[in-house]
Amino acid sequence: MTALSDVTVEIDPGEFVALIGRSGCGKSTFLNLAGAMDLPTHGEVHIGGVSTARMGDAELTAVRREQVGFIFQFFQLLPTLSAVENVELPLQLASQPRPRHRALELMELVGLNGLGDRLPYQLSGGQMQRVAVARALVHSPAVLLADEPIGNLDTETSSGILDLLQHINTDLGTTIVMATHSRDSAARAGRILRLSDGRLSPESPTRPV
Amino acid sequence: MRHAQLLYRLIVRPLLREKARTTLTVLAVALGVSVVVAIDLAGEASTNSFRSSIETLQGSASYEIHQVGGIPEAVFGELVRMPGPLRFSARIEGFGTVLGRGERVPVFGVDLIGDALLSERGDLPAPALSDIMDSDAVWVTPSLGVAEGEEVQLLVNDRTETFTVGGVIDTSQADGGPVGAMVVMDLSEAQRALDRVGRLDRIYVHEPDGEERDRSEAIRQHLPPGAVLSAAGVRSQQSRAMLRAFRWNVRVLSYIALIVGAFLIYNTVSVSVVRRRPQIGVVRALGASRSMVRVAFLAEGCLLGAAGAALGLPLGRALAIGAVETMGRTVQALYVSSAPGEIGIRPLTGALAACVGIGIALAASWWPAREAAGATPSEAMARARLEYDAATTRGKWAWRALGCAIVSAGLCLLPAWERIPFAGYVGALGLVASAAMLTPRVSAACLKASERLFTLPFGVAGMLGARSLAASLARTSVIVAAMSIATAMMISVGIMVGSFRETVDLWIQEELRADLYLRPEGVEGSNDRATLSPAVVTKVEGSRHVAAVDRFRTYDISYGGLPATLASRDIRLHAARSTTRFLEGPEPDTIWDQLATSDSLIVSEPFNRKHDVHVGDTIELRLGSNRVGFTVAAVNYSYAREEGLLMCDRSILQRYIPDSRPSSIAIYLKPGADIVQAQEEIARSVAMHNVQIVRNREVRERSLVVFDRTFAIAYALEAVAIVVAILGMAGALLTLVLDRRAELGVLRVLGATKAQVRSLVLAQSGMLGLVSNLIGCLLGGALSLVLIKVINKQSFGWTIQFHWPVGFLLAALTAVYGASLVAGVYPARIAAARDPIEVLHEE
Repeated sequence: MTALSDVTVEIDPGEFVALIGRSGCGKSTFLNLAGAMDLPTHGEVHIGGVSTARMGDAELTAVRREQVGFIFQFFQLLPTLSAVENVELPLQLASQPRPRHRALELMELVGLNGLGDRLPYQLSGGQMQRVAVARALVHSPAVLLADEPIGNLDTETSSGILDLLQHINTDLGTTIVMATHSRDSAARAGRILRLSDGRLSPESPTRPV
Repeated sequence: MRHAQLLYRLIVRPLLREKARTTLTVLAVALGVSVVVAIDLAGEASTNSFRSSIETLQGSASYEIHQVGGIPEAVFGELVRMPGPLRFSARIEGFGTVLGRGERVPVFGVDLIGDALLSERGDLPAPALSDIMDSDAVWVTPSLGVAEGEEVQLLVNDRTETFTVGGVIDTSQADGGPVGAMVVMDLSEAQRALDRVGRLDRIYVHEPDGEERDRSEAIRQHLPPGAVLSAAGVRSQQSRAMLRAFRWNVRVLSYIALIVGAFLIYNTVSVSVVRRRPQIGVVRALGASRSMVRVAFLAEGCLLGAAGAALGLPLGRALAIGAVETMGRTVQALYVSSAPGEIGIRPLTGALAACVGIGIALAASWWPAREAAGATPSEAMARARLEYDAATTRGKWAWRALGCAIVSAGLCLLPAWERIPFAGYVGALGLVASAAMLTPRVSAACLKASERLFTLPFGVAGMLGARSLAASLARTSVIVAAMSIATAMMISVGIMVGSFRETVDLWIQEELRADLYLRPEGVEGSNDRATLSPAVVTKVEGSRHVAAVDRFRTYDISYGGLPATLASRDIRLHAARSTTRFLEGPEPDTIWDQLATSDSLIVSEPFNRKHDVHVGDTIELRLGSNRVGFTVAAVNYSYAREEGLLMCDRSILQRYIPDSRPSSIAIYLKPGADIVQAQEEIARSVAMHNVQIVRNREVRERSLVVFDRTFAIAYALEAVAIVVAILGMAGALLTLVLDRRAELGVLRVLGATKAQVRSLVLAQSGMLGLVSNLIGCLLGGALSLVLIKVINKQSFGWTIQFHWPVGFLLAALTAVYGASLVAGVYPARIAAARDPIEVLHEE
């Protein structure tokens, strides 16, 4: 089965790109390839000018660890770690010094000051996704990949998360690629790419507008 | 049929899908079953085989007559002249070593012409008169491997005798299984060869078929007061009675691995229940009853048990080959001379394997099956529910553990039943159960504490591993319990054996004070009563290096329906040099004086416990042609004979049994004598006799070798239990990896390297090993006290001084910890190899 075919896109630093399309159209595969989580069977994905196909597991891991931040639809917080511990986890994995200090900064950024000691099950859905955003940003990645970040949240909470992403993109200059099936959400992005059956629709702007 | 289909789809199919986990569980059960089967088979082969040689020649006798020191031949003459239908067979019994093969075999003397037995048996070849006239003719069993007409050289007492094989005995029709190697010769020839001229060891009494009249009283009238008339086969029964405690202890040890296996089945079925909670909810909503759900999960346990039993049976048969050798040697060294019989799988063995395999599986899966059946469809939540339950009931289980431990301690205070410490076994099992109940609480505390400890070497992986284990406490604690029990048993047996060894070593050093020891060559078994020629003693006494010679003589006796050993020695000589420790009795000097001057004896601690005999009591012994009342002068610590040892002065015993030949002698050298030179000179002076002269240190070393060999099987059984636990740990970690694959996937996405994921799983296995070691140490210490103070004492009657075998414990704990790390290697590889995308996509 081909998940993506004939897709050529260039994303510049600081962009906020929305990727829309129906379920199974290849949005997640696109993000996985962009985030060095997967390798294309044909073609190439360049991150920072280097093809992922030429990277070994250690280099791909380094890309994920240093250059990419992920946000998932179902938050994917580790249930055994507190909120702040979840946030500092990427820094610990990279053996960064003083991870707690940086994690608390991010907790403040996402508006969860004082909730750091709570375990995931003690947080609401919106709060969990904010923790996930903080975790994705804690190591200051160049790109934030968000896979249906509001797919599991109510409208009000979704709006808050989208505000947060916009704020991150605008104020921190972080490049964001967000997969969503919601046109309203996609409207928050600077560019929209439409995927259909693994291909980009002709009207999708493949370069920054 | 429909139920079978459902069972296949819901239970069998998932088991087949998870091959690694299922294989590990089945293998664990198979190992548990195999050791039970192996010990059962080996126990049968090694402890029942002595009837093969002795009872083969017993025939259909109703009674047997025995007398310590031998029955005068004249008594036999009187018996055969008794009017009536009774027939009598005389026997000489001894042992000889087959030169060239080094095998110690029983040697029997029978009346080849007149023996009533032979006339009714077809398995012994009717010898030609010329053979009997030919005094060096012997008949042998096929297992000796010597053909008719060939020569066989036997080392009998301290001489070498050469015989010609007159025929091979047909043992194919023998009752009671295969017959071991033995040599049969004419009575008079056996009397000569075994130094029993004028004496008989045993007389069998045969009654005609259908005889109902009790003729025992009539027979007794023709016997001297010292002779004992008893039902035929009583010796074997007594020996078996003695062996019962030994067999029970080994049997109980063999069940440890199975108990550990039970925890693993419990864990496997629990995991199945947790994973299939949504499915349970669905099938319950679709109309399945609670009992159907319960039966389904019991069936899963049953399948695992049956597969384990099927695999364990042939494995047990194979393991029995090694076990029978070890057990056979122990039986020979401590109880009765006998070559192990053949190992055969009987229908009962198959039934035993099926019963223990399936039985333990059903018992282990009962609780999870009940839990599965108890859930309402709406409660069909995943692990969270179970973990919640585990967390909330931890305190309750701690109280139950305390209660169970108190009851168990109380049970340990109860006396044995028929010399089997059943209450002690149950008490030990209760302590194990208490530890299992406490495990969740202790594990939770330990995992919390070890989080920081493991973060140092493993970094964040250590912290994540600890958190993950703590979050899966319901299943983690089951594995920790299994591992702890295996470790505890290893430790407790190690402490018990180490303490026992130290006690025995100390006792040997106190008791064996002579410089050299001399005894007939080839003597092996505990009831091997070979003797030395008086000439040997005279020659040794004549050596310029020798200060004194202590002549030691032993006899098999029967007391209170159990076998015992009566020994005599030169008490004054022994008293002047030994440092015997007494359990009961006055000052040592008073004891020695009493022994040297009156009909008194010292009884060993096992004898004291078995027969409740104390200082001042009178024991009536039948010695020679007399019944003699001996006063108990003291009870001493003695580890020489499990059946009990009675010791009196040589000169006193010779009043009743005037046989001056010693079984062995202890040689004290003159001060300043060169031991090497003395040994060489003595060896030269007795070169015509087949004797072995060993130094004090060698005797001690040899004794400890026998000791170590005796307990080798205990260690082997514990090692199997550890292997079972390790398999369980590997299975549990694998399950944990599979169940937490999403979290591992997220870690990889967040930048964790494969090495970090591997470290995480290895850290988990390390933590489980550490917690298991800790609980195992505490439980092992408690169990060792039960083993030493209760089970050993009630079974064998020995006092063991507590001793910490530090080296062994460190080695055992390191090995267990290392093995637990090894158990994590495969799950760690699986965890690291998982593709994070695949994992997240599955979720």
